[in-house]
Amino acid sequence: MTRSPRRLDPRPGEVIDRNRRLGFSWNGKRYEGYEGDTIASALAAAGERIFSRSFKYHRPRGILAASLHDPNLLVQVGDEPNVRAGYRKLEDGMAVSAQNAWPSLNYDVGSLNQTVARFLGAGFYYKTFMKPQRLWPAYEHVLQRFAAGGKVAQGAERRDCDKRYAHADVLVAGGGPAGMSAAIAAADEGARVMLVEEEPGLGGHLRWGTPDDLARLAELRTEVAARPSIEVLTYSLVAGRYDDNWISVLQRGLPQVTERLVKVRAKVLVVAVGLIERPYVFEGNDLPGVMLSTAVRRLVNLYAVKPGDRAVVFLANEEGEAAAEDLRQAGVEVLRVVDARRGGGLLRARGRRGLDSVELQDGSSVACDLLVTAVGWTAPMLLLNASGDRPTYDEEAARFVPGGGLPDNVLATGGILGDGPVGLLVDHGRATGALAARRALGGDAASSSSPEAVPALTAAPHPALFRSGTRGFVDYSEDVSAKDLMAAAREGYDSVELLKRYTTATMGPAQGKLETINTVAVLAEATGRSIGETGTTVWRPPHSPISLGALAGRNYEPVRYSPMQPWHEAKGAVPIVAGQWIRPEHYGDPAAEVLNVRKNVGIIDVTPLGKLDLRGPDVSRLLNFLYVNKWSKLEVGAVRYGVMCGEDGVVADDGVTGRLGPERYFMSTTSSGAAAIHEWIERWLQTSFREWQVHVTSMTSAFASINVAGPRSRELLARLVADVDLSAAAFPYMNVRQGSIAGVPGCLMWRIGFTGELSYELHVPSGYGLSVWEALLESGRDLGAAPFGVEAQRIMRLEKGHFIVGQDTDGLTQAFTAGLDWLVKLDKEDFAGKAELVFESERPRESRLVGLQPVDPTVVPPEASQIVSGSSTIEGRITSSRFSPTLNRAICLGIVSQRCASPGTVVTVVHPDGTRTPTRVMEHHAHFDPEGTRLRA
Amino acid sequence: MPTSTRKGPASVPDPIATAMLARSPVRQSKPLRQEAGWEVSSADTGAALELADLTPITKVLVRASSSAVGSSFSDFGRARRDEAGHLVVGARPDEWIVFGKAGSAAATISQIEERLAGAEGLVTLVDVTHRDVVFLLSGTDARGVLEKICAIDLSDRTSPDGTAFRSRVAGVSCLVVREDRDGRPAYLIDADRSYGQYLFDVLVDAGAEFSVEVAGYTEVF
Repeated sequence: MTRSPRRLDPRPGEVIDRNRRLGFSWNGKRYEGYEGDTIASALAAAGERIFSRSFKYHRPRGILAASLHDPNLLVQVGDEPNVRAGYRKLEDGMAVSAQNAWPSLNYDVGSLNQTVARFLGAGFYYKTFMKPQRLWPAYEHVLQRFAAGGKVAQGAERRDCDKRYAHADVLVAGGGPAGMSAAIAAADEGARVMLVEEEPGLGGHLRWGTPDDLARLAELRTEVAARPSIEVLTYSLVAGRYDDNWISVLQRGLPQVTERLVKVRAKVLVVAVGLIERPYVFEGNDLPGVMLSTAVRRLVNLYAVKPGDRAVVFLANEEGEAAAEDLRQAGVEVLRVVDARRGGGLLRARGRRGLDSVELQDGSSVACDLLVTAVGWTAPMLLLNASGDRPTYDEEAARFVPGGGLPDNVLATGGILGDGPVGLLVDHGRATGALAARRALGGDAASSSSPEAVPALTAAPHPALFRSGTRGFVDYSEDVSAKDLMAAAREGYDSVELLKRYTTATMGPAQGKLETINTVAVLAEATGRSIGETGTTVWRPPHSPISLGALAGRNYEPVRYSPMQPWHEAKGAVPIVAGQWIRPEHYGDPAAEVLNVRKNVGIIDVTPLGKLDLRGPDVSRLLNFLYVNKWSKLEVGAVRYGVMCGEDGVVADDGVTGRLGPERYFMSTTSSGAAAIHEWIERWLQTSFREWQVHVTSMTSAFASINVAGPRSRELLARLVADVDLSAAAFPYMNVRQGSIAGVPGCLMWRIGFTGELSYELHVPSGYGLSVWEALLESGRDLGAAPFGVEAQRIMRLEKGHFIVGQDTDGLTQAFTAGLDWLVKLDKEDFAGKAELVFESERPRESRLVGLQPVDPTVVPPEASQIVSGSSTIEGRITSSRFSPTLNRAICLGIVSQRCASPGTVVTVVHPDGTRTPTRVMEHHAHFDPEGTRLRA
Repeated sequence: MPTSTRKGPASVPDPIATAMLARSPVRQSKPLRQEAGWEVSSADTGAALELADLTPITKVLVRASSSAVGSSFSDFGRARRDEAGHLVVGARPDEWIVFGKAGSAAATISQIEERLAGAEGLVTLVDVTHRDVVFLLSGTDARGVLEKICAIDLSDRTSPDGTAFRSRVAGVSCLVVREDRDGRPAYLIDADRSYGQYLFDVLVDAGAEFSVEVAGYTEVF
């Protein structure tokens, strides 16, 4: 176990719990940290300096910012790659390892790239691997091996993520003094507030501040905690803001899930995200031991870590002074404080595997292991940019500030707007929060007095420090140096958006948080323009890279089951996915199931069939309009087959509708068309036929539907039905009756058949579906009653020549092509698709659906095989094909051109593998019992 | 199944007359008992957050024009009890679902018919007891559970007691009705029966972080 030699004595604002020790490993070696540590702080406490190797040159890298945005602290944790060690809380048992280093972090072969760095400038890969194009796959294969980032283990442990929808009157992004104050004031106005803070604790920069800051923070925390209408989400990232204040928040640290994506609709968004400290560009600025002042203050004050022993501080602001003071208190020897405001300057840092010395502008060189820079700030503009703000450059303050143009439902407060003492930030936050609440609540706000004026908050003057005379790294994530940017500018990439894409500066994991301003400054220098003229890139979500798992959340893919599902499962039915429905494809042997239906009786679960209850005096008019055939003379108790077409004349759905009473009908649709047809009917009723008196109710799931098919089906049904006369004379083909089955009242019985056998379609109130299913099998045991699945039904319907909408027809198949000439009644007044079908009827037919049989009865052409004449003239395609156990031969349906459609024509079917099968066009679609004597029995 | 258009009594007796057992699509946790001919669970949890399968309750769909019905029915988006204890839910414009005691479909229909006897225009009553599942999610954290799978604002201000809305819950179109019980938030979730087991499993999964427990059938109406 490695001890923690750099851990300081307890600090007043520390966030670690020294009573809770956590064990973890780093590159296989055991370490110890405390609850509250980040991975990086625990390692820094143990004396580690190198955390990663850089992307391109494999240079050793250490702590720079010690925050979420630190580009040098990406590590692998177990099987999770690209974990931000400056942010991720340490957990007991974590196995942490370095990324992008081989064979080890300390001795990385890839660092040889540095010796050829002058050849690896921006655009190197674009230019070098352009030609020849045929080698692209080979280049890709080799270059992939140099790709940076961690490793995704194929068998990685499942990490559960989920989502939550939230609605806030006011969402405050950023839990610093201004954000906390805004939340408090908004809550006091009666708003429901969501306060979201990136860090695990509220407070922003107060957390690592002076005793006064800490006292102020304690007060603010107490005030927040006292207001139940403030929901605090810490360790949570506001990742993006979209139209209408749709805000994505990524929440970590929940006990149940690794990450949660909270989708928030906020009436008003208050942006209080503060500022990010920017690095300084100079030679050696990426050496381990070169840190930002905020990193040092975090390490010392939050985690009680001594970041070095001998320090040089280069500063241009008070925060830098405070960092120097923190270092002194932590026992670090501060050798030099170089104040840029008084003309001090920094030239370069030297060292190999870490900082050894610093060269200053005055020519002196100081040996040290820590160089702290405090040269200014960057305002993270994402949320404002996404709300319509276009940042402008403030020369005085040397940073971009909001440029105006925000909508009423977005406000900003705190450091992103301007600088000032904590008191001013708090006052500004309070006034902004109250304003936000009033905008969110309108007249419902608690305060009746006139709103408090929002005090002025502007950015304070600050020296413009971006780069020393030497050329260091601008983008640490992508290893882009000032020299690369200047070279790119010379090549003509002189617009910041082009420069960014060409050099990939600001496009790495840190996404420009630290790099954007320096990129712009270097480009401005290279092109002789001002920073204001150069402008900045547009900030786009997400604020920081987020995991795909969080975006995916739980797998909510609804599945539907029939009431008989427990029986199917128990009997080992092979399932088939049919849209959302899970259905039995077969129970072991579909061919045997077919033969049993043809010989005895079988039952199939057809619950997914669409079922609509239609009532009212105008149903008959509606049916006449929806279907291509006539419906006015349907008697009560009768059933008719119908086909629906879209207005393009294309077959949309088919099914049967029966008349149960004078003004009551029951429609069945295809299983796949059920929802769409219901919507389609409602659309007609709610737009074109609003005066029609019709109520349509979806009843698909109200009934368990069972088709009882086979020559003995009547005999079987008679054993369970007492109140309906099932005789052929009393209950003929294409009729419907209502009655009880197996003692269950309220059932519908249709005498129709898809299989070509004598058959009854039973619709049983769903709750009783399983009971009736079992009763049918039990009572019919001596009759040979057995279940059959979707596959057997498909075989039998093909034997019988019934087409399936969507399989034997497609999005272009019009009614006549489907062979429905007999059904389409163009003499009807009007119906959906009539205009197009009239037009079609006057043109020569191009193709039609026909029955087909391969000359060799044993060859079953795969569905979708092409039908050709001659060697390769395409004449059509096979839409359905099966081997018929009843006929003991291959049978098909297919669409063929009109000139090949005459019965007896032999066409050639070309299989996907090139095999050619001579196939004969048949007279009927039906291969079996074309006269229909069996189903009329 | 009892049905009705306009006038006349329900044509078929209630399913309770049969000896057959009716079942919810949701696997029932033991011990089991029967309620109005349905197999239900009699599990008793006493947990602070409970999920119960109330599928056997009577559900009658009423279609009529709001103007014809007048104030005798709740407004669209609201739910309230009538004098017989039914919960009348304004499910869609000109559409209501009336929830009642299990096994009371015929009686419920005739009561509604009586009430709407003078209503003008087409009035349709359809028994959809077997079409839908209904779950009851009740307890202080019920909102927290639902927030994970439903995008609607469930706060007291937007969705107070007595609110009804139709929205997607974990990808399934549902009718959600808030009817608080014993001062704690409670939601009735009505959905197409075929999604029943899926939806139930999702609710149990979403409720796990709040220690939801599956309770047996409880009498709500």
